[in-house]
Amino acid sequence: MVSPFCWGCLSQLRPATRALTGPAALPQAALFHTSSVRNAIIKKKPIPHDSKGPRYREGSSARMKKKKKPVERARPPAVGERKALRKRIVLSNPNALEVQDMQDLSAETMVDARLRGSVVGLPVPMLDQLRAVQAFKPKQGWSIFRRPGTLMRKETLEMARLFEKIGGDGQVYKKILTGERGSGKSVHLLQAMAMAFTKKWVVITVPEPQELVNAHTGYAPLSDDEPNLYIQNEATAALLSRTITANKDVLSQLHVSQEHPALKKAVQPKMTLQDLAGVGIRDPALAWPVFQALWAELTATEASPAAQQKFKARPPLLVTVDGLAHWMKGSEYRNTEYKVIHAHDLVLVRHFLSLMHPGDKKPTLPNGGLLLYATSASNNPFVYGFDVALDQLAARQAGVSPSSPEFPQPDPWANADQRVLELFRTGKPTSPNERALEIQNIGGVSRTEARGFMEYFARSGLLRENINDEWVSEKWTLASGGVIGELEKLGKRIRVAA
Amino acid sequence: MVFILGVNFPERNLVKKSLEAFFGIGPFTSSRLLSRFHIHPTCKIGELANKQVLDLTAALADMKIENDLRRQVLDDIKRLKETGTYRGRRHALGLPARGQRTRTQTKTAVKLNRIDRRL
Repeated sequence: MVSPFCWGCLSQLRPATRALTGPAALPQAALFHTSSVRNAIIKKKPIPHDSKGPRYREGSSARMKKKKKPVERARPPAVGERKALRKRIVLSNPNALEVQDMQDLSAETMVDARLRGSVVGLPVPMLDQLRAVQAFKPKQGWSIFRRPGTLMRKETLEMARLFEKIGGDGQVYKKILTGERGSGKSVHLLQAMAMAFTKKWVVITVPEPQELVNAHTGYAPLSDDEPNLYIQNEATAALLSRTITANKDVLSQLHVSQEHPALKKAVQPKMTLQDLAGVGIRDPALAWPVFQALWAELTATEASPAAQQKFKARPPLLVTVDGLAHWMKGSEYRNTEYKVIHAHDLVLVRHFLSLMHPGDKKPTLPNGGLLLYATSASNNPFVYGFDVALDQLAARQAGVSPSSPEFPQPDPWANADQRVLELFRTGKPTSPNERALEIQNIGGVSRTEARGFMEYFARSGLLRENINDEWVSEKWTLASGGVIGELEKLGKRIRVAA
Repeated sequence: MVFILGVNFPERNLVKKSLEAFFGIGPFTSSRLLSRFHIHPTCKIGELANKQVLDLTAALADMKIENDLRRQVLDDIKRLKETGTYRGRRHALGLPARGQRTRTQTKTAVKLNRIDRRL
């Protein structure tokens, strides 16, 4: 059909407005509901909620929206709860059998050579003290036995003899313990602490040296005179707290005998050393001078004239540090110029490291004592200078002269830390009571000791094997020559009968 | 709750993160501020000594942060526009100012390059 209008005219027609058309123009077919439809409010197109600003080149494919399931979120554990769980130390397993006729560690049993290769129990009253100095580590397998016990190995008996010797004539021995992972360095320290508690020594330990350098506790410059040395008040207070909790019996019997000008009013003349340390714990701002005062008291050989009558001879000291390598590098702390503070510039670290050097006139520990600094093999930062320094120490101990070509020298291109190398260049001690710093490597246990250890597992009901020499020898080899941590893994592994 | 430069921070917050809440302070500046006043990086607001809070507030008061810094940025863009530089023009047009192509992907420039840039 041809339209009566031409196309050109049609295009010029104006569209008629709605008011003009009126209801007559409505389609006639749908009589009943069109007006309400027309009068209804026209809804706008919903705007997508993420349309901010102009949108270019968006993908045109359909987006599938997934229905999100309502996630049930439990409340997170309270502050400190997770850490407490992680650091929890379980010392008893009621399901394990009680080992009959197991002896306790005591002054007699610790030097008894017949007990070599057997496991001796740690006395129950001492466990609180050992816990206080954090001698037990969470990953050690204390929780699988009825009660904690340690193997009397060759090194343990040697150390016990050393304790006898030091207790007799006030000698000072200094050792650095090295060894493979799981070789028993930390447990060696624990045994030393247990022996020291038996002998009524004073035990001062740094169980986690890392905590002093990883910038998790407060620090402040020591004084205006020494702007490059830093104190850590909270860490020092924690050390004091550990020390007096563990050594309460000894420290409550000793009294202040020296003058402490740094602590004018805080120190009364008749105070016990326990109270003295308490001052530093209550007020961490005083922790460092209190620690210095406590150290001066513990290393005093005679009283100042004012406090003569109450003076008692001071007991020997055991100082242990577990994981020395953390102290051989720059700490995580920064100085005001945002330069890294070397760990040796933290006074607490510096104090413990300075003990490795021989004393000026008196020995470093004038009342005798043992210094045991262990390296760690599992949490061990790589410090090249420290490795070289330990090699040099071992070489000196073996009698290699520092001027000889065999003496290990640091690679000039490896940028070894000179402060670390210098630290281990200890001079010869002047006092006859003091020994030079030694290095002791803790290796695997012997086959007989391994047998005693595995029998302990069997008698605790953890191991169902016929323990004979052949079987022990196999396990000893599997444990790479009697590394005790590996032996423990073999001993506690559950076996299913085929 | 501790006031630092007039802003109230809960005690359980890290000092480092709290400092970074100010416009113009990022990880670089905040870690330097901390070391300047011997505050360890894991320190919480509640552990700060009074003197440290005052020191921090004094140091922050000296710095160009928050609204001062916002104003400066806007002034800089305005100056570029008024002097008729290329960068100023590009800001006015909402186009990339540093020679990026505009054939595709200029979302960021469209969003940010304005005379009244939102900060």
